[in-house]
Amino acid sequence: MKEHSPGAVSTAPGLYLHLPFCSAICPYCDFSVLTGTAERKRFFVEILRREIELWASRISSDRDSWRSAFDTLYLGGGTPSALTSTDLGRILREVVEQLPTTPRPWIQFEANPEDVDARRCASWRELGIASVSLGVQSFDDDQLRFLGRRHDGATGESAVRQVLAAGFSAVSLDLIFGLPDQTPEAWRDELERAVRLRPHHISCYQLTIHDGTPFGFRQARGQLREMPEEAQGELFRLTHRFLADHGYTAYEVSNFALSEEFRSRHNQKYWHHVPYLGLGPSAHSFAGGRRWWNERKVPAWQRRILAGEFPVAEEEKLSPSQHLLERLFLGLRTPSGVDCGKLNEEFGVDLLAKNTGLIERWSAAGYVDVDGTVVRPTLDGLAISESLAASLEV
Amino acid sequence: MDTTRNFCIIAHIDHGKSTLADRLIQQCGGVEQREFRDQILDSMDIERERGITIKSNTVTLEYTARDGITYHLNLIDTPGHVDFSHEVRRSLMSCEGALLIVDAAQGVEAQTVANLYLALEYDLEIVPVINKIDLPAADVERAREEIDADLGLDPFEALPCSAKTGEGIDEVLEAIVQRLPAPSGDPALPPSALIFDAQYDAYRGVVLLVRVREGTLEKGQTILLMHSDKEYQIEELGLLKLKRVPTKQLASGEVGYVIAGIKAIQDIAIGDTITDAEKPVTEPLPGYQEAKPVVFSSIYPLSSDEYEDLGRALDKLALNDAALTYEKDSSAALGFGYRCGFLGLLHLEVVQERLKREYDLALLLSAPSVRYKVQLKTGERLQIESPSLYPDPGAIEFVEEPFIKAAVMIPERYIGAVMELCRERRGENTTFNYLSVGRVELTSEMPLAEVLFDFYDRLKTVTQGYGSFDYEIIDYRISDLVKVDILVNGEQVDALSQLVHRDKARARAMHYCERLEEHIPKQQFKIAIQGAIGGTIIARKTISAFRKDVTAKCYGGDISRKRKLLEKQKEGKKRMKMVGSVEIPQKAFVAVLKTEPGS
Repeated sequence: MKEHSPGAVSTAPGLYLHLPFCSAICPYCDFSVLTGTAERKRFFVEILRREIELWASRISSDRDSWRSAFDTLYLGGGTPSALTSTDLGRILREVVEQLPTTPRPWIQFEANPEDVDARRCASWRELGIASVSLGVQSFDDDQLRFLGRRHDGATGESAVRQVLAAGFSAVSLDLIFGLPDQTPEAWRDELERAVRLRPHHISCYQLTIHDGTPFGFRQARGQLREMPEEAQGELFRLTHRFLADHGYTAYEVSNFALSEEFRSRHNQKYWHHVPYLGLGPSAHSFAGGRRWWNERKVPAWQRRILAGEFPVAEEEKLSPSQHLLERLFLGLRTPSGVDCGKLNEEFGVDLLAKNTGLIERWSAAGYVDVDGTVVRPTLDGLAISESLAASLEV
Repeated sequence: MDTTRNFCIIAHIDHGKSTLADRLIQQCGGVEQREFRDQILDSMDIERERGITIKSNTVTLEYTARDGITYHLNLIDTPGHVDFSHEVRRSLMSCEGALLIVDAAQGVEAQTVANLYLALEYDLEIVPVINKIDLPAADVERAREEIDADLGLDPFEALPCSAKTGEGIDEVLEAIVQRLPAPSGDPALPPSALIFDAQYDAYRGVVLLVRVREGTLEKGQTILLMHSDKEYQIEELGLLKLKRVPTKQLASGEVGYVIAGIKAIQDIAIGDTITDAEKPVTEPLPGYQEAKPVVFSSIYPLSSDEYEDLGRALDKLALNDAALTYEKDSSAALGFGYRCGFLGLLHLEVVQERLKREYDLALLLSAPSVRYKVQLKTGERLQIESPSLYPDPGAIEFVEEPFIKAAVMIPERYIGAVMELCRERRGENTTFNYLSVGRVELTSEMPLAEVLFDFYDRLKTVTQGYGSFDYEIIDYRISDLVKVDILVNGEQVDALSQLVHRDKARARAMHYCERLEEHIPKQQFKIAIQGAIGGTIIARKTISAFRKDVTAKCYGGDISRKRKLLEKQKEGKKRMKMVGSVEIPQKAFVAVLKTEPGS
């Protein structure tokens, strides 16, 4: 695994917009999503516009938390591609007019394969979208049906080709692995088909079954379960090794890029404690050592904005130890790991001294490489990075 | 004194002792209808739930008989379980007569016979009562035949009744008055009174329940407790009519209570004799016998900050339970706790339940152990009930373990299964005899240690719930005992060491290893779980390291949640017991140590 220098991550804040619309709701999804008519979507956009306005005045008066302009803009959901280009354009225009942004913010956008065609690609490019993440999930029709997706394998492939042909700066595709009974061979075939298309970036997510989703209910009834941990581990390693062999370097547990420039500029902010503002229902924000999140349900979010309030559901102030814990688990999710020397300067906690024995055992077991004060998870370490973070004495 | 009758009710479990007591109390107006609840004498929840009497209670009833005279009937309740046989004996010593209940449907049972012998030992006048005549399966004639054949009592003196419906209860009350002797004794002699029970009252301290044999006890009198050799002044005395009713004095033949400023049950001994400090009797009454614990277990709080609470709770329980012994103990794996001694398995279970329910403590109990007698080569004899104190095997000449005579009552069809179970548990001289058509009493001499480990569960399973079980300790026999240790990555888990018969060592070690394997989650490093006798490994299981725990997505909205999860995990780790570098969750200990002590 190549070393990744965190210095490449901009420290300017990022902006996340949650657009909760989907054409249908996938049985594994636990995001805040809904389906809606054109009328409903227009109304949503209007409310979002008001939330942007609320923040515009807050940010101008709170320059401590928001020192520089937003340089990334991420449209997530839901499926932002479920909105018309007109609606998307209104939102983006509002952002640029109301909020401090750099002259050409990097705009990343999530799209579903079935929403992709040449005309729409052209209109998204006109909106200034630099990067498109395609929710391909799988190229196998049976797996796609199981996942409740509305496209087939061929549509997925053709969508990737069209987006690549449209000339976006970075094209990514999302895949899901670890479906029940998925063999390593079947998953390798999926990866083969993905790399053959040569996207700039690939995200591979282990299927996670969340409570409260249709998959969650099926799991509760005993009809479905996540792949056993050992098999998950096998597919995880296969993914990393295969993609590395094909030129895709892991820069986080689930994210791989052909080169540093194709890494998600926005997502890296999450892992490096760079401030971000999230707008829209259920969106989370982080700035000034605080985390807060919006009302999860659209009606509540909407009601509060219409009443002229910030739609914040809850907020927390991170204590130094919480801050440190976040740095640890986020850092250990990346192959660049954590620099205990820097953390000591920042938090006054000498992790290396406090965990000498443990880190030695990790090193001997092949979970980490220690380089001076930097502890870098190996592939085996990355796979258990949560346990590593939890067991460090702080 | 001629109008006093002291009696108890003796019965096999389930033959309706508490129900009969309830009915007698109700019939005599001892309790208002609105206060009435079933099994009124069984004051602990656990007694009412399990239908057994653990702590005996006593009540004085006023009954106006057909001769027009009002009598004081002292119903002295007896615990219905073998663990508490000392208490049974002391209760019997306080009576002149007993109602012996025979179930009209089930007839005479093994325990009925045993109870009769016990009552006869104390010269009690017996009135047989055939209860449950309301049941469709009742067969009064057959019950009479069994009273004649099995008990050797006059079947025509037996009184049929139904404690449930009240039928025949008047006849029972009349028989108590007419057929049981009035107590003897001279109120003018120097006083002697037997303490047959004691209760603890949060406001008054210890309340002694006494039977006055000779002489008279009075308020203000300075008394001497002969065995403990302590003097107290009587603050209050009186009769027990469900509530305490103070009187000026208690005279020979009477049963009542005495409050004398005694702080704790440990300060007194049940079975002790009260006399006047100034003109004492020369000899105490018979009946004093120290309650000896036979089952031992260490109790640890699940959360170490509840250690002090546990200590306080045991102090309080002991106020009311003279048989409970406890001393401080500690385990590397489980922290601080108490090594406790119990009269038997039921006693252990009752204490455990009370600590849980009354003091809201979450507890872990080490595997119950018996007390072994160890003869060392040096000639020294030790009594060992804790594996941690077991001497080096090379220094041991031989070891003896307590044997019980187990009596199992079962429907005939389960004989084979139960005999097999007894054989598995090293039962010797297993025999059976028919109690009645289709019902068998199976007896077996087996090590007490063998019933401590899920015997009752297994019995219930193999008899589909039909088996009942009782035991008495008979003697100590030589045993081939070994100490089995459980090692986790080479480190001994002290709380899991146990003393077992060599033939059982491997199976027990394997059982522990398997339970641990099942309940210790995979960790960052491989874990070896071993069972060992000394340096010899006799069982082994391995838990492989986990290979993946990382969640796929960690974006803006996931970080808080993830952090909270890790904080919780870290918090959980604090509560985990560390053995070497291995974290063992509480639930693993609970799973391993969970036996269902029962009876």
